[in-house]
Parts: sequence; C-alpha cells; structure tokens
Amino acid sequence: MLLVVAYSRVARRTLRNACRAHEGTVVRRFGRAALLADTEFGAFQALRLRERHGSDVQIERTRPLNPYSAVPAPVREAAAAYESEAHPNTPYERFAAGTDHPSAERMKAREL
Amino acid sequence: MIVRVGDRVRRGRAVSFSDVPVDAGTVAAAVRGTAADVAVECPDPGPVHDRVGLVTDGMGLRTRTALAEAARSRGTDAPQDEQVATLRERLDDLDPPDAALAVPHRDLADLAGEVTDLRERVAERRGAVAALRDAGGDAETARSDLVAAARELSEVETERIAARQRLDDRREAARAARDVRERRLRLEDRIANLEREARAHLVETVRTEFASAVRELGHDGDPFDAGAATAALGVARVADLAAPVVLDCDRFPDATAAADWLDAPVIRL
Repeated sequence: MLLVVAYSRVARRTLRNACRAHEGTVVRRFGRAALLADTEFGAFQALRLRERHGSDVQIERTRPLNPYSAVPAPVREAAAAYESEAHPNTPYERFAAGTDHPSAERMKAREL
Repeated sequence: MIVRVGDRVRRGRAVSFSDVPVDAGTVAAAVRGTAADVAVECPDPGPVHDRVGLVTDGMGLRTRTALAEAARSRGTDAPQDEQVATLRERLDDLDPPDAALAVPHRDLADLAGEVTDLRERVAERRGAVAALRDAGGDAETARSDLVAAARELSEVETERIAARQRLDDRREAARAARDVRERRLRLEDRIANLEREARAHLVETVRTEFASAVRELGHDGDPFDAGAATAALGVARVADLAAPVVLDCDRFPDATAAADWLDAPVIRL
C-alpha cells in the first residue's frame, strides 16, 4: 500500500479532499496521512499530491507483514514470551539476559 | 475626497454618480489604487475595506472575519496578538530544506546482485584451482583468474558499502527535513487556532453594535444570518473608515444619508 503523509496545511487539505473524492482507493485515513490502495490509481493520486506540494508530501510504500515468513522464529518467540511472562515493568534487556532470547542490540543490527 | 469619473469631478464626503454609467468594481479599484477612467483622491483604505469597501446586492461576505477587521480598524486588539506575532517570527525562522525526493534503491539492488554473482565466480575459480592442483596440472592461469575475480569482488563490495552509506545519509537528511516541516505545520496550526480565538474575541467587542446596525436596516433575528449586503453595511457602520465605501445598492435615499449612517465617506452609484 502507499502511505501518503502531508506536512503543510494546504497539503493536508488536498489530501483530505482527495480521500473524500476517491473513497474506493483509500484503505485507511489518519489525521494528515492516508494509506492508499496499491494500484496505479493509488499511485496516481499520491504522485499528483507530490507534484502539487513537493516536499510537503511524503510517499512510502508499505507491505503487509507475515510474521511467519518474514520474522525469524527467535524474534517471534521473544516477543510472545516477553509479553506473556515478563513483569509489566521489566525492561526487555533484563528479561532477555541469561536466556536464549536475542538481545535488543542484536535485533537492531539485523534487517528483516 | 475628490472623485473623477471620465470628465466629471465631484468633491465632498458624500458623492453620487447614479447619473453616470460606471462599473462599481472599477470605482472600488480606484479607491484602492488606480483604475481606467476613474480616479479617487482619498486616504488609504485599511484591511476592512477589502471586505466592505464595495457593497452590492449580489456580494459575498464572511461576516465574522469582516467584523473582526472592523473591530481592529477602531484600534481594538486581541489578547492573542502578542503570541501570534511571536509564533509568526518562529515560523519565519523555520526554513525546511527539501526532503530528498526519490531515494535511489536501484544502484544498491544492482550492486547486491553483482556481489552475489562475483562471490559465485570466486568460489568456482577457487574450486577450479584446487581441482587442477589435485590433478597435478598447471594451475597458474586458473590462479590468476581467481585473483582477478577476487579483486573485482572486493571492489564491488566497497562500492556497495558506499552506496549503502549514501542511502542512509539521504534517509537521515530526509527525516531531518521532515522534522522541520512537521514543526512548521504544528506552528501553523497553533497560529490558526489563536487567530480564530482572536477573531471571536474581536467579534464579541462589537457584537451589540453590529446587531443594532443590521436591525436598523430591517433585519430581524440572528444578526449573523443577515444577507451579505446588509451585514456589510452593518460592518461598515461599526468600522472606523477613512476611505470611502462604494455603494451599489438601494438602502439609503441619497449619498449624504448613507454617509451619515455609516459615519464614513460614501460614493453612491
């Protein structure tokens, strides 16, 4: 999908109008951002906004995350264990120390 | 005030040109500056003039905005003014650089593919060298092929690291530029909110006067529901106007009556 973020009042207004006029292309709307469908028309709308407002419009492409194919098992397991086992105030580093769970630093250094 | 339309010249606080065919917009433009065939000598118009300097039956008006300007024309300030000025200065100081547009991923993807290919080639040649050596053959040519491939691999890897760094730098620069834009947007929103509050405050200071003005013109009910021309006359009466109001509507018996009621110079068409 295409994430479109507005960085000025006019760009925000144009984005809002575009979303209102093309509901079928809008997957979700946030305050001054919107997720547009991953279609040529979604891209057309996004590029049109960028053409009009230049750097006041940011366009990023997002894709759905399938944790089972994209995220290594140790990371998934660490997330599940941290949420279900750790005391609410325990920092992750303390929770992971002395276990097989990967450290935050290690995870930061590895791209998906 | 001296008004000249074609070769007719009229002077005074209230003049009428109802006997001369002339476009109201042209006369209003002449009040603000210059216009063909019409000249008006008068004090400079203020901001409220842009809203109610020309009153016609078909006009449009943002009544509250105009009324706030009318309050300002009388020297009334809003408590938000100072903060708005401060925030405007801060806004002017923000000069966001352009966020880098398309970040080229292609270079990086191409280079990554090349690295993979070269790694395979190096492995193949290493295998070839080992096989020749094991067979007791001459591995000299194969070895120099291996060295060449290894050198190329190291060059492409260096290039890939540099491309990666460039990409990271551009992303970082784009993010910094967007941070500035985000700050600017927040400032603009705060200024707009304060200006709305200021407008409401200013409107309150003249609401009663405005209400009785439109009532005198025959409008009953909510004064803010009055038609645009009626509301504009109400605003003009409330405002402190030095430059003339151009009237192209039938609300007053003559220019003098209009000037008296509005307490402002009038050009009646």
